[in-house]
Amino acid sequence: MKIFIRLVILIIPIVGFVFFYNLLTEDKFYPGANFDRFNVPVFALDDITSQKIYTKDDLNDELLLNVWASWCITCRVEHGFLMELKQEGFLITGLNYKDESTDANNWLNLYGNPYSFSLHDIKGSLALDMGVTGAPETFLIKNGEVLVHYSGEVNLAVWDNVFYPVIKENKMFR
Amino acid sequence: MKKIVLLNLLFSICFIQGNEVYKFHSLEDEKRFYDLIQEIRCPKCTSGSIASSNAPVSEDLKNKIAELINEGYSDKEIKEYAKARFGNEVLYNPEVNSSTYLLWYGPFIFLFMILTGFFFRRKSQ
Amino acid sequence: MIAEVSHFFLVTASGLFLLSFIFSTLTYKTNHNIEILVSRVFSYGSYFVFVSFLIYIWLSIQSDFSIRYIAEHSNKDLAVFYKISSIWSAHEGSMFLWIVFLSLWSQFFNFKLPQADLLKAPSIGILSFIIFGFLIFLLFTSNPYDSLLPIAPANGADINPILQDPALAIHPPFLYLGYVGFVIAFAYNTAFLIKGDLDINWEKIIRPWSLIAWILLTIGITLGSWWAYYELGWGGYWFWDPVENVALMPWMAGTALIHSLYVSSRSNSLRSWTILLSISVFSLSLFGAFIVRSGIIDSVHAFANDPQRGLYLLLFSGILIISSLAFYALRFPKLVSSNLIKPKSKESFLSINNILFVTAIFAVMLGVLYPLIFDFIYEERISVGPPYYNTIIAPIAFLSSIFLVFSVGSSWQRSSKLFFIYSPLSLSILLSIFVACFIAFKLQNFEWWFIGGNFSGFLILIRYLLLVINNISKKMYFNKASAIAHAGLGILLISISINAGLSYEKIINIKAGDSFQDDMYTFNLLDFELINEDNFDSIKAKFLIKSNDASEQVFYMFPEKRKYFIRGQITSESAIQITPFKDIYITLGDQLDNGHWVVNIQYNYFIRWIWISAIIMCLGSLMAIKERSIKK
Repeated sequence: MKIFIRLVILIIPIVGFVFFYNLLTEDKFYPGANFDRFNVPVFALDDITSQKIYTKDDLNDELLLNVWASWCITCRVEHGFLMELKQEGFLITGLNYKDESTDANNWLNLYGNPYSFSLHDIKGSLALDMGVTGAPETFLIKNGEVLVHYSGEVNLAVWDNVFYPVIKENKMFR
Repeated sequence: MKKIVLLNLLFSICFIQGNEVYKFHSLEDEKRFYDLIQEIRCPKCTSGSIASSNAPVSEDLKNKIAELINEGYSDKEIKEYAKARFGNEVLYNPEVNSSTYLLWYGPFIFLFMILTGFFFRRKSQ
Repeated sequence: MIAEVSHFFLVTASGLFLLSFIFSTLTYKTNHNIEILVSRVFSYGSYFVFVSFLIYIWLSIQSDFSIRYIAEHSNKDLAVFYKISSIWSAHEGSMFLWIVFLSLWSQFFNFKLPQADLLKAPSIGILSFIIFGFLIFLLFTSNPYDSLLPIAPANGADINPILQDPALAIHPPFLYLGYVGFVIAFAYNTAFLIKGDLDINWEKIIRPWSLIAWILLTIGITLGSWWAYYELGWGGYWFWDPVENVALMPWMAGTALIHSLYVSSRSNSLRSWTILLSISVFSLSLFGAFIVRSGIIDSVHAFANDPQRGLYLLLFSGILIISSLAFYALRFPKLVSSNLIKPKSKESFLSINNILFVTAIFAVMLGVLYPLIFDFIYEERISVGPPYYNTIIAPIAFLSSIFLVFSVGSSWQRSSKLFFIYSPLSLSILLSIFVACFIAFKLQNFEWWFIGGNFSGFLILIRYLLLVINNISKKMYFNKASAIAHAGLGILLISISINAGLSYEKIINIKAGDSFQDDMYTFNLLDFELINEDNFDSIKAKFLIKSNDASEQVFYMFPEKRKYFIRGQITSESAIQITPFKDIYITLGDQLDNGHWVVNIQYNYFIRWIWISAIIMCLGSLMAIKERSIKK
């Protein structure tokens, strides 16, 4: 009995030590990446130019949905890379989050428009339904299903490590 | 001073109870709301419930939860709603299922083991 | 230049501590001169640390921005008080403070402990090893002297306005003094275990040191809770946040320690428990430092850090804890007392409460680590929050109150009858049940924790009241310190229950000129005032509040919303009105599209009593230091 107690007293901190050592030395992957799949929720929103009401069926079969706003500073940083993606032929649709349409349009006129069109989610209701907590965030969507949800700025490193493998695996954007 | 107080009294008679931000059909529903928002974690903050946060997404969630309560959703369904969109970690009260048995029953098992050891030792001597 | 002098002093101190440690390992030769040398060299080491820190404070006051840390955390326009407190606002500086306090406590101990004490040299040796290890950590991975030269910025960084607060400024020093104070018990006990001489009366030595450390830790935690309440705007005082929990665990272990010490200094039992607790308290402090500084757990509070620092802290803490426990395991058979604890004796009840406290520590530890373990096994995220902790800790608290009350009438080393009719215990139990049920009916709250909390709290208060009445009338001795401290505990339990059971909030929208009325008060929003200060703009709401009852009290409250220029940070300054049994707590929310404002009104019941009860517990402990323990 006494030997048992002595062993337990020693083993607990040693196990703890090993556990924490493992945690500290593992490779930190991208914490903003979420690969849980879900279907894009039903919605009906107009776009920031108020030309027509878009629904889920209006989305392309394969697209990137980028959550952005004119008040979002990091979006300005991300913008350059999005323009590059557009050049390379990736289809990007915008989800304008809690933004006035005049501010949104002015921003695009000033910096350039990487989006096929931008949904005007002024209340953030679609965003909330998709688990968005802020801007910028980006979704990779195929046939109405979200394959990747990334929170944070998308740059070359994130694209290569998070998005591109999934795109390749699902044979998207051919 | 007296005039202001009087005016305010008049105002207060006109504007009683109209201005609650979250309106519910019953007191139980209201209590449910305030209890629920303590149990749901703010998805954006490093720590804290949506009750304690005024981040935009917290405000949106609170509005949505009030809506869902008024539409008749149960507490369980509302938690499922939050969980589906923001992940398991948005619930502060971990469910009691096979993966959390250790968490919920662990302390009692621990207590039982030590008390047994304590009494067993006394008996054997 | 002067910074480098200070830096040099720290390096010198490290060398001196290393020397002191080496000397202490040579004392097996029982050379008295070497023992004196251990002590002397240690003293010089600590003086160098103090001078180095004082210089650093001076550099901070002088706004020497050639030092990167000072430039990052201080600013020319800060008040002197905040220039000093900015030193411990982040990792490097707070680590420095930690080391200063380690040296402070240890040097006091070095000074007060008679040279003749058999364990002096080994315990000072252990202390010097500990301080040396942390100094190496500081100087190599977290150097507060990193220089920005040749280009020193003209002004420092813009400070987070939330950090410029008096309570927040003094909360870390108290907390660290508490955490670190238990190193004395740790070192002395480890020295005892290494030496192996069972006759040494170590309980008598470590008792006052542990009591003082406990008081300081309690004050530190209370300050943190009080600050969180008035500053963060959500009206709560404890969130079971991981960083709060890692401060609570040493506190719980410390409480168990001082009670276990009480037993071991009077009778021969529980010695092995007391030593284990003594090792645990400082180990839990080390664990806390590791968790907060390694970045392993996400929390509002954690210093942002890199895994490298975490690894060093893990390694060093691991060495200290595992070697100490190894010696414990070694001596364990001899430590376990042959005395049997008699059932229903004072020792038995204290033992059971020891076990309950350890279970509570286990539960909190489980809650803190579970998300990590879960992620490790299932690769999925999970949160463990207040619902878990409240459910597990509350019953443990109630049970320990019951055993506490059993212990009041009991005696040392023999059983006593407790439950006879008309015994004070039976009377207390009956009265408490009655009071708890009465309160439950009056306030219409029948939750298990509400009744349980009130029952436990009143049980303690009533039992001690009976004790005091009985002993004063018979002019018998009773332990006043214990009565006061535990009365504080009783009040704490009642206050927490009532606060949880009664408090509520209402979120309303209102515009200037409107008013809102509930059953207790009428809130008139008079108007808004726009204020321009040096570093922020604010909009201040003016509420005139009138109570609806016959007393017709009238008072004003001014919740504010501030926008600080430099970071664009927006903070909400809540308005608090203190009344004897509740706080009225108003927070200004956002402005809606229609010009109305969202306002959050909370009634927080008995919240002041929670902190008052903590102070009462400290007073009781203060008195306990004066208590002379019966020599064995």
